[in-house]
Amino acid sequence: MASSFVAAFEILSFGAIIVLVVLGLGIIASMMGIFNFAQGEFVLLGAYVTYLAFAKGLPIWAGMIAAPFIVGALGFVLEALIIRRFYAAPIVAMLGTYALGLIIREAVRGLIGGFYLTVPEPIGGSIDIGSMHISAWRFTIIVITLLVMAGCYLLLARTSFGLRVRATLENPALARASGISTPLIYGATFAFGAALAGLAGALIVPVFSLFADLGIRFLIQGFVAVMVGGVGSFIGPVAGAGLIGTLSAALPWVMSPVVADVLVFVLAIAFIKFRPQGLIAGKGV
Amino acid sequence: MGAAEQAVARVSEGPDEVIDEGAAATGAPAGHTTAAQATAGRKVLPIVEGLVLLAALVLPFVLQDYLTVFATRVVILALFALSFDLVWGYAGIMSFGQALFFGSAGYGVALLARDLNITSLLLVLPAGTLIGLATSLLLGGFLLLGRHPASVIFVSLGTMTGSYAADRLARGWYYLGGQNGIPSIPPMTLGSTDITEGPVYYYMALGILVVVYLLCRFLVRSQFGLALAGLRENEQRIVFFGYKVQHLKAIVFAVGGAVAGLAGSLYAFHEGFVWPNMLGVVISTQVVLYVLFGGSGTLIGAVIGTVIIEGVSFWLSDNYRDIWPIILGVLLLLVIMFRPLGLISFVLGERERVGSFGTRIKEKRNAAP
Repeated sequence: MASSFVAAFEILSFGAIIVLVVLGLGIIASMMGIFNFAQGEFVLLGAYVTYLAFAKGLPIWAGMIAAPFIVGALGFVLEALIIRRFYAAPIVAMLGTYALGLIIREAVRGLIGGFYLTVPEPIGGSIDIGSMHISAWRFTIIVITLLVMAGCYLLLARTSFGLRVRATLENPALARASGISTPLIYGATFAFGAALAGLAGALIVPVFSLFADLGIRFLIQGFVAVMVGGVGSFIGPVAGAGLIGTLSAALPWVMSPVVADVLVFVLAIAFIKFRPQGLIAGKGV
Repeated sequence: MGAAEQAVARVSEGPDEVIDEGAAATGAPAGHTTAAQATAGRKVLPIVEGLVLLAALVLPFVLQDYLTVFATRVVILALFALSFDLVWGYAGIMSFGQALFFGSAGYGVALLARDLNITSLLLVLPAGTLIGLATSLLLGGFLLLGRHPASVIFVSLGTMTGSYAADRLARGWYYLGGQNGIPSIPPMTLGSTDITEGPVYYYMALGILVVVYLLCRFLVRSQFGLALAGLRENEQRIVFFGYKVQHLKAIVFAVGGAVAGLAGSLYAFHEGFVWPNMLGVVISTQVVLYVLFGGSGTLIGAVIGTVIIEGVSFWLSDNYRDIWPIILGVLLLLVIMFRPLGLISFVLGERERVGSFGTRIKEKRNAAP
């Protein structure tokens, strides 16, 4: 009983991490039609900012709060300078963002060297429920993920900003004609997606430690999750991320980790092949 | 795009007035017009190809031995880049997992050499090619064929995922050597002589590259290549002409996989070992960089891109090892933003890139407005 509860908690917390990483990717892919290959590197940057705050002697939570703002600001600048040119051509956008990711990754690699740097958990220790111990920090990640998901949903579904974003997504020409500044909306959406990635990186760095290839691991998983969930809506990528994250955390409990890892991808690709629109089809929130 | 229309129109309809329309269409879009007009009369492509071949032939005489070994590696990688150019530049399939075929062929021949002691050139190279062909047929058939036409994004993610999964599998599989791969592959043999690294291996790899290059060139300039050019420029129109676009793509994907497999088996024997990275995303994306940098859809652009990136990275890696990947990223970004057709487009006009098909018809050079 106790061990299956711990297993369920592990699976849930990993699922939450994947959802957090995929959220930004999904928003950019759904709202702007761009598969951002630099998203993994935005995660990496968020982790790096947190590490930097820790190394400078600042409290870790300060770094974690700063990370989404810094990465979001960078995302805004990059969108205005570079990404903006790629909207018409999704493939060129993939390659361009890949090059961008390469630059960021190698710059971070140059700064930290080839090391694995650890950052302690800001909330250490464990929560005891009867005889079971679960990591307090992983529990915090689950809570924050739920809050961020709810926040994103409310932002997109209930605010006037969200309305503009959805209008721009569905019919850019009509949105422009209605007086919405679509370039600004695109910039803000991209920055928001980048900020979410930065937050994800900041939160997961105590769990995974900081290394230059941190982002790549999540990038492919994230893309597969977005495709499984369905591009075009807010809820689709989240559902896909939940599914992929849960599967990749759950399967290693019943089979060898290597087989499980590969099996998740094979299943996902096969699923997308036969249901290209994903779990949840349709546009909107 | 005007050029493709012209190419298609020229073969399907023929006579002179079509050429006039075509010339008007190519003349209209600005940008490459000057380059196209400047090179309309003389052929730049054969000159570039000839120069590259000449340089490659004399290289071992001017290089020290250890540099010849490096040059051999570049030649093999150029062959690999060629396979990607075929797939992306001609069929418009974004294969982010080309290393899957490269690596699985490498692993295949390494296993042949390790477990069955088969090292004969005449057996391992066809075997590697076949492995690449079979893997790419399987993956390409699955990704490209079927009731729903596959979107470009799906294919690129599917190939990338395939490559990533293969990498993970090789890392965890004891029979394949796990993280360490398969070390100390014996040298390739022909009869009783060993083909060891150095000038001999270099000329063998170069010979294979030239043969494969010529075959590819023949393929993309054939009637089949004409359909591909149309596919690349305007896929919908080719569908309306009644071509089975998905089949065309799957065929090119398989041919590309076979070439990548050939390159992979050459690479495995040249390096003397194979390791999981050969299958993974890093090599897959590296080959994308080569081709984009040199210029996709020209074949020679892939070769030039490989030579430039590998050469400069070799040259810089002593002093600027840390910042070289950053410079590479910046250069790539600049090329994608400002020179989407790659470095080759500085000397090669749009019209020559698309090429001419069928029997050549005398151009009316002053027909353009």
